[in-house]
Amino acid sequence: MNNEFENNMNETQFEDMRQQLNTLKKKLGEQEIVNDHLMRRSMRNQVNKINHRYNIIMALCVLMIPYGYWCFVVLCHLSLAFWIGTSIFMLVCGAATFYTSRKISDPGLMSHNLIEARRKVASAKKFEANWLLFGIPAVILWFCWFVYEIYQIQGGDFNNGFFWGGCIGAIIGAFCGIKMHFKTQREYQDIIDQIEDLTKE
Amino acid sequence: MTTLERQFAQTVAEHKSTIYTVCYMFSQDADEVNDLFQEVLVNLWKGFESFEHRSDIRTWIYRVALNTCISLDRKKKRAAEVRLTMDINLFEDRDEDTKQVDMLHKRISKLQPFDRAIVLLWLENLPYEEIGQIVGITAKNVSVRLFRIREQLKNMSND
Repeated sequence: MNNEFENNMNETQFEDMRQQLNTLKKKLGEQEIVNDHLMRRSMRNQVNKINHRYNIIMALCVLMIPYGYWCFVVLCHLSLAFWIGTSIFMLVCGAATFYTSRKISDPGLMSHNLIEARRKVASAKKFEANWLLFGIPAVILWFCWFVYEIYQIQGGDFNNGFFWGGCIGAIIGAFCGIKMHFKTQREYQDIIDQIEDLTKE
Repeated sequence: MTTLERQFAQTVAEHKSTIYTVCYMFSQDADEVNDLFQEVLVNLWKGFESFEHRSDIRTWIYRVALNTCISLDRKKKRAAEVRLTMDINLFEDRDEDTKQVDMLHKRISKLQPFDRAIVLLWLENLPYEEIGQIVGITAKNVSVRLFRIREQLKNMSND
């Protein structure tokens, strides 16, 4: 079958390309890997960094619960319900982040064929993008609840400023988040189109 | 160094040209090649222990290298302070051989990532069946795809 392809093409052009690749291989064959020791150390660090990331996500989620109690309930005298709501939200965020990172960093992922691996990465990215559709309204809701809780305790001008500042921040955040969501969705669709184009008989 | 690490180092040394070639074809500058090379090694290392030798090691290395280069989020690029890969800069060296290699790079880098992978494997003289196994498509699809790539490359040389 290789011949079939070769016969149909501009032979010289592709022979040139093959020759150029051989030149590259020859050049590389003469090289040694520089600083093998540093390279191994750097690789080990990278693998550890990935594992550390999971541990940090888990630790932050767990630590947020007692910290939230101290900060919201003890220090600011907000309601217990608000603390419980915040803790649940944090745990859900942590679980979602953990799920996506785990999917992308699966050690066997890169050993799959290109189409399968790309599909899996794209699906993880799509999950990440869809997650924003839940995350953004949830943050806005949480913020409104937070302002309401503060208002219950203090009232007055401080909360007015706090509320409007927060609203502007939330609108900018929501705009950026939605923009990011659509960008990721487009990228995902582009990958799917490429895969479909490649796999159709 | 453990036995596994020693085996890994030997495998990398044997296939360093293949790995570097893939990284080079998916990069735009020397730092990116360096980053990709290290990232590929990390992914090879992560899968090395569980690699069951059901497929040829060369096929597996191509899969990991190409997957890493296609899927890596380039926004997470790290600026390497020390060159750890090879003492060669194919983007800046100006000898005749490098000019030839650069011509190949310019042609290939205009293709879509999957097409880049397919043409690279074809140039390496891999049979269609093996290219299909690496990419995840049938040998017939490889042939169809190569036909389209040929048209694209022809148009490039006409430009």
